Amino acid sequence: MADFFLSAAPLILFFPLIGAATIAIFGQYVHRSASGIIGCVSLGLSFLLTVGLAAVILPLPVGQQILYSHSHFIGYWAHLPPDLIISFRLLVDPLALLWMLIITGVGLLIHIYSVGYMAEDKNYRTFFSYMNLFVFTMLLLVMADNFLWLLIGWGGVGLASYLLIGFYYDRPVAVLAARKALIMNVIGDVGIMIAIFLMYAHFGNITYEGVFSHVGTVGAPALTWIGIWLFVGAVAKSAQLPLQTWLPDAMEGPTPVSALIHAATMVTAGVYLVARAHPIYDSAPVAAEIVAVVGGVTALFAATIGCVQYDIKRVLAYSTMSQIGYMILAVGVGAYAAGASHFMTHAFFKALLFLSAGLVIHALGGEQDIRKMGGLAAKLPFAFWTFAVGAVAIAGIFPFSGFFSKDAVLDATLTSHHPYLFACGVAAAGLTAFYMARLVFLTFFTGAYRGEHEVHAEAARTMTIPVALLAVLSLVGGALILPRHDELAIMLRSTFVDARLPQNGNEFDLGLSFGVLLIALAGIALAWLAYEWRPAIAAAAKRTFSGAHALLTNAYYFDVIYHWLFERPTYALANALLRLFETDAVDALPAFAVRLGSSLGGLSTRWETGYLRRYGLTFVIGAALLLFIYMLLAHGSSAGALP
Amino acid sequence: MPQVPLNLYLELSAVLFVIGALGFLLRRNPITMLMSIELMWNAGNLAFIAFARNFGDMSGQVFAFLVITVAAAEAAIALAIVVMVFRRRENADVDDISVMRG
Repeated sequence: MADFFLSAAPLILFFPLIGAATIAIFGQYVHRSASGIIGCVSLGLSFLLTVGLAAVILPLPVGQQILYSHSHFIGYWAHLPPDLIISFRLLVDPLALLWMLIITGVGLLIHIYSVGYMAEDKNYRTFFSYMNLFVFTMLLLVMADNFLWLLIGWGGVGLASYLLIGFYYDRPVAVLAARKALIMNVIGDVGIMIAIFLMYAHFGNITYEGVFSHVGTVGAPALTWIGIWLFVGAVAKSAQLPLQTWLPDAMEGPTPVSALIHAATMVTAGVYLVARAHPIYDSAPVAAEIVAVVGGVTALFAATIGCVQYDIKRVLAYSTMSQIGYMILAVGVGAYAAGASHFMTHAFFKALLFLSAGLVIHALGGEQDIRKMGGLAAKLPFAFWTFAVGAVAIAGIFPFSGFFSKDAVLDATLTSHHPYLFACGVAAAGLTAFYMARLVFLTFFTGAYRGEHEVHAEAARTMTIPVALLAVLSLVGGALILPRHDELAIMLRSTFVDARLPQNGNEFDLGLSFGVLLIALAGIALAWLAYEWRPAIAAAAKRTFSGAHALLTNAYYFDVIYHWLFERPTYALANALLRLFETDAVDALPAFAVRLGSSLGGLSTRWETGYLRRYGLTFVIGAALLLFIYMLLAHGSSAGALP
Repeated sequence: MPQVPLNLYLELSAVLFVIGALGFLLRRNPITMLMSIELMWNAGNLAFIAFARNFGDMSGQVFAFLVITVAAAEAAIALAIVVMVFRRRENADVDDISVMRG
């Protein structure tokens, strides 16, 4: 049995691809419900095999773990001069396994939820095909054993994300959002590509093993540059400053997509990348410092914006950005296990939040504006309780999972001597509690229901069961990362055995934990005061600080700045080139060829009068010419051919 | 019986061919034009047979039979076209049927 699971790693990867292809090719010939079933079953098989594989590999001692992680050869891929052979080989070390468990497990729950959520959609089949394609490319990203295949998966998730953000292709906003996400992600792809070129130049190798085992032989400046370019990819994919603006717009996609791709898995690929490349960052302190600063600042930056947004999904999007900021901060200061544990708990509670927000949106017929909600706790009790569990977990209230993982991150930041980033993190923790509580109060309380849509009854069981399971995971997920007994950090030890800091996970400082908990409670209390007890306070604050409010509502005007800094000059350049170069120079040659062809053709049609005699004459002249040429040649070769 | 030299056969063949070609080009009656074409075919046949006899090679004669077959087929098709045109137009002047100009 153990041997079977060890050899099943390629199956884990290819089941979702087979599912996607089956739905895409044969889905049109069978009943539409078959697409959902195929999508869920293929992912379910992947999940079962992943669980089996994890159960075999994780209990092994470190040495054997490393041995068994590397034995999944699929095929040769490329041969680079002078003697580098790139194989398609899978790596299933504990870090990859953690991500695989979340991708297939949370992915399966979200697939099941989608069966209900997308039931009415006309492109039901396409949706499941894309979702399975996403899971395949994401698994490819985390299971690759070299940077080339990582990049292929990296581009693949970008493509799947593009397809799914623009899923409602008849809405121009969705199409524009998809394009924006793709362009910003390609910036990151190019960053990773440059990092791969640098690795090839300095190490002559681009496999993880080949690069990481020779980190000591290359100077610090080269490593720093490799680390920075890799991090450009991470920044774009994980929506960190300054490439963050695509994530809120990505909420134009269907809610299950937001839950799976733009909360639980794809956007955490940046965290995975930095954790995966930890030998580089361990030896390049400048690059690691940049990672930590970007993460910490983004955590606070996004949290402030989340406080004033009115679209329920946009609040969650900024909250995702902020929480990923925590993870990036953790891996930046070298606490890789803490980053991974926050990834795990975040996948649980953020997927939960999105899915129960989806329940609300579904019940309100597509309404996402929280100003048009209110008083829904009585009408949608299941959505309320599950959303509340998610909100409490993300706010970091004891004993929900977010408390433990956020604590581990903040603890690591402080103990690695980053007081300013620690302050950012603590402030973000308070703001997180505030905006989540605000969201809960405005959606589910503050008087009666304010919207004009009829509130439908709560959703089908395919939607509620996954949400309930995620609520349970958000509640008890912290048990895996208990302070001073961090199972997750123990699990991950073979990946981080050589990290620059010991990966003990949550060290637990009682004072710190208590302080952060108090700040979070204060945030909740403030939200209660301003939105539930006396709504006039919120209105007054909005009037008093109208400038700051506008700044936050427009997300610090990043979109406007980028519009004037990049979009306008690009359009201007393109238009100038169009006027000066395209029409006069590039188009001139083909246009000349067209004119030449049509005038020559017009000339020759004059001969074609339609008179039979004309054709006869042409024929005779042609025959005479042939005879003449023949005689000329015959005369040339053997004079007087005729006897 | 004195041998007729090959050249005489070929000269006769050339004269027949030129008469056929000129007839094809200059006459407007499609029936006459068809007859001219037949004349050209047969000029070719004469040359084939003359060469075959002169060189003692039977393939020239075989080719003459092939040409006769093809000429018959061509005549059948051409006459059918002429009949169709005549039915539509009550007239068979080839200069009037220039509508197929392309």
